[in-house]
Amino acid sequence: MNQRRGFPLYLLTGLVIGLAVGLLVAWVIAPVELVDVPPSTLAESFKSEYRALIASAYVANGDLGRAEARLALLGDPNPSRALAAQAQLTLAQGGSEELARALGLLSAVLAGELEPTQGPQPTASLTPSPQETENNPSDAEPTSTSAPTQTSTPTVTATLGTSAQPSRTPTATQGAAFQLQGIEKVCDPLLDPPLIQVYVEDAARNPVPGVEGIVSWEGDEDHFFTGLKPEYGLGYADFSMTPGVIYLLRLVEGAESVTGLTPENCTGENQPDFWGSWQVTFVQP
Amino acid sequence: MGRYFLFLLAVAVGLGLGLLYGWVLSPVEFVDTSPDILRVDYKADYALMVAEAYAQEGDTVSALRRLAQLGVENPASFLAEMIDFAEGVGYTAYDLALMQQLAEALESWNPALDAQSP
Repeated sequence: MNQRRGFPLYLLTGLVIGLAVGLLVAWVIAPVELVDVPPSTLAESFKSEYRALIASAYVANGDLGRAEARLALLGDPNPSRALAAQAQLTLAQGGSEELARALGLLSAVLAGELEPTQGPQPTASLTPSPQETENNPSDAEPTSTSAPTQTSTPTVTATLGTSAQPSRTPTATQGAAFQLQGIEKVCDPLLDPPLIQVYVEDAARNPVPGVEGIVSWEGDEDHFFTGLKPEYGLGYADFSMTPGVIYLLRLVEGAESVTGLTPENCTGENQPDFWGSWQVTFVQP
Repeated sequence: MGRYFLFLLAVAVGLGLGLLYGWVLSPVEFVDTSPDILRVDYKADYALMVAEAYAQEGDTVSALRRLAQLGVENPASFLAEMIDFAEGVGYTAYDLALMQQLAEALESWNPALDAQSP
């Protein structure tokens, strides 16, 4: 006579059926419903909108601490770089120049090389409150609730930053128009395509972000702002040239234009010829 | 009879284990969420940001577009809710005034007038 030993097959079958049904319910039919999420979980398109709003609000209130706290909620590894990249993307896609400037300015300030200057004041009809509130938005994980039962969690709330501080927003130095200080041909094979590299400094020789420039050629033109590539300096901007095209460069707040900018041939040692770039410096007198 | 009972018991245990695994140990991971499920304090701060930008720009349409990102059907009543919330958690008077200013602008906003402007 044969005697069955070990785990009975019908129990194993029941367990597997139950497990399968359980997983089907948990993952497909009634998955965990996410509510009360933090901004870091948002889709990238919404994060971009959120980032843009943070920059716009910063231009309005000049509160850097508040802007930093808000940016931290998005979980960007490098908020300054994310802002700069979004500013460039905004310009490249023909978006709002005002928004690009706001993103670029906040990026430049976060890069830590710029002292915020006096910015726009709050609306005069509003009375600033001396009250100061703690800046501690909760970073708690989102509450997961299994449908259909929802678990309510206590909501940690706090206002962000202070609002009674004077508004301080970095802006381009107010004063005399920028003047051309120098033009220099740059033979660097790594600059491909060749660039017009623009450096803008104030009277104290500090780089100035947020300065708008215009490059025009053959009936077309493009705008740029300094400070959108903080890794190269806050007063830096560049424009890619096409060989054979002659460009005219000027700053919106500049006194003079630079004409005849076109890629010129550079001869390298032990390497083929390549197109050179131009480095143009504007300074406030 | 005993076998049927044990079989159903095994199904129930399997079901329980499946739910435990699927809901607790390895739940569906949500990424790329939308702002409408942001926690209420984040929504309130978002509304405050919109109000701050509005105070600077004075652009009601832009403020409405930004609030629409939160998936709200009635921006004015949503803002009223956020103001109530903000009062409850101690937003400063200045922040509340900014939000109130935007709320009043939304209530008096006339799309037809905006459409006529250049």
